[in-house]
Amino acid sequence: MQTVKMVISGAVNAGKTEFIRSISEIEVVSTERKATDETRLLKKETTVAMDFGRITIANDLVLHLFGTPGQRRFDFMWEILSEGALGLVVVVDSTRPETFRETTRIVEFFNEMRPAPYIIAANKQDKDTAWSPDELRLALRLPEQVKVVPCIATQRDSCKNVLLELLYEIMETAKEG
Amino acid sequence: MPLVGNLRDFALHDFLYLVDRGYKTGSLMLNRPSTDDAAHLYFDKGKLLSVVRPQRRERLGELLIRLGKVSPQQLAQALQTQQMNNARPLGQILVEHGVIGQRDLQFCIQQQIEETVYELFAWRDGEFKFQAGQKPAPDDVQSLVPLPVENLIMEGVRRVDEMSRIKERIPNNDMIVRFVDRPQEKAANINMTADEWRIFARINGRSSINEIADKIGLTPYAVSHIVFGFITAGLVEVTRPTGGQSSKAPVAAQAQRVGSTPTRRSAAEPAYVEPPKKSLVARLINRIRGL
Ligand SMILES: Nc1nc2c(ncn2[C@@H]2O[C@H](COP(=O)(O)OP(=O)(O)OP(=O)(O)O)[C@@H](O)[C@H]2O)c(=O)[nH]1
Ligand SMILES: [Mg+2]
Repeated sequence: MQTVKMVISGAVNAGKTEFIRSISEIEVVSTERKATDETRLLKKETTVAMDFGRITIANDLVLHLFGTPGQRRFDFMWEILSEGALGLVVVVDSTRPETFRETTRIVEFFNEMRPAPYIIAANKQDKDTAWSPDELRLALRLPEQVKVVPCIATQRDSCKNVLLELLYEIMETAKEG
Repeated sequence: MPLVGNLRDFALHDFLYLVDRGYKTGSLMLNRPSTDDAAHLYFDKGKLLSVVRPQRRERLGELLIRLGKVSPQQLAQALQTQQMNNARPLGQILVEHGVIGQRDLQFCIQQQIEETVYELFAWRDGEFKFQAGQKPAPDDVQSLVPLPVENLIMEGVRRVDEMSRIKERIPNNDMIVRFVDRPQEKAANINMTADEWRIFARINGRSSINEIADKIGLTPYAVSHIVFGFITAGLVEVTRPTGGQSSKAPVAAQAQRVGSTPTRRSAAEPAYVEPPKKSLVARLINRIRGL
């Protein structure tokens, strides 16, 4: 059995969990919830819910989707998770300009590392206040060659489209054979 | 036939795993004569419903008053309603009276159950007895929905520090770590610490405990401890490294595919993977188009 992975990243509340949930074979129930101080005292360390999805490609091939945790404390996960990944999706909440700076930070990290091809998912396009992909490109000062794809993470077809767009990018850099 | 034993030999997290996998319904009675302490856990089809400490039993009303969610007057009213048309759960009445929201109620109950279980993980010994079919008493605090136990298992394992327990499952640090068939069903219920995440993200069915430790700069012991937790929670399994003709064919096939023997890799070596083959990407595209 061969497993390959893709990473879904983005700022807090961007829609990463929703994205993975929509496209995965089995519903990913995120268990994240606020712990009371009492629980925090009783628990040994702070924990974070993981997003982890799976799509069976064939009997011998499985695609895993990993969501990176939103909080800054878990920044180091970007690097670890993206190691060996086929590609990355950076999800942006298109309705919240206050998260754009954080998104730029993530994008810059991937630009520098170049671990794998990545695309931007301009999420929550179903909302009136959503910035369009073109506006986002400008707001995030994205290089021309980076794709910005409209996305509604709550809809499966939309997530499917984002993954396909990413795969076309990956195909460009793939080697013969 | 009740299952009996001592926590010294079969820890609470081992039991939770058994209950989960065995889809068990019934009660687990824990008794600790050394400290004159006891606890009763109630399960419904592998999930946790209730935990009672008989020496300091707290009923739902008392819990909610302690947490400041309900006033004594509101509780008295609800209890009156309960007496008039008996057998209705108190929580339900409080929700109907608009005293507390359903979610908030569940949150308080769940917190109480989890905290009690965390305390129990500290018991290194104590007799246990599991009896199938037993249900909690009507006035015991019960979760509105039975709680999955994977997260509790992980939390329990974080407290295990006996090497011997870990060695039972992971005989040496050259063992290869891989996901079980459907890890996401279990993973959905688990929250992880930073180090657990670090390790989780490196599991690929090819790397050994030693290799993972090397790459992330933790000791092999620390990694095996965490992997032990993953195993206990049913997320991963370990297999022996393949010397060519192992019984675990899939691992052998994978090692060959990447053209590496499972020896230790130096930390300095860059971690980048080659671009994938076009044929692989084409398979992914075809499959996802068909979703
Ligand atoms: N209307 C709308 N809501 C969305 C969409 N995607 C996500 N949401 C909502 O936005 C909120 C955040 O989504 P999550 O998927 O939890 O975001 P996340 O990136 O996983 O957040 P963190 O894990 O906290 O970093 C949830 O309430 C989602 O239901 C979308 O496309 N449209
Ligand atoms: Mg999330």
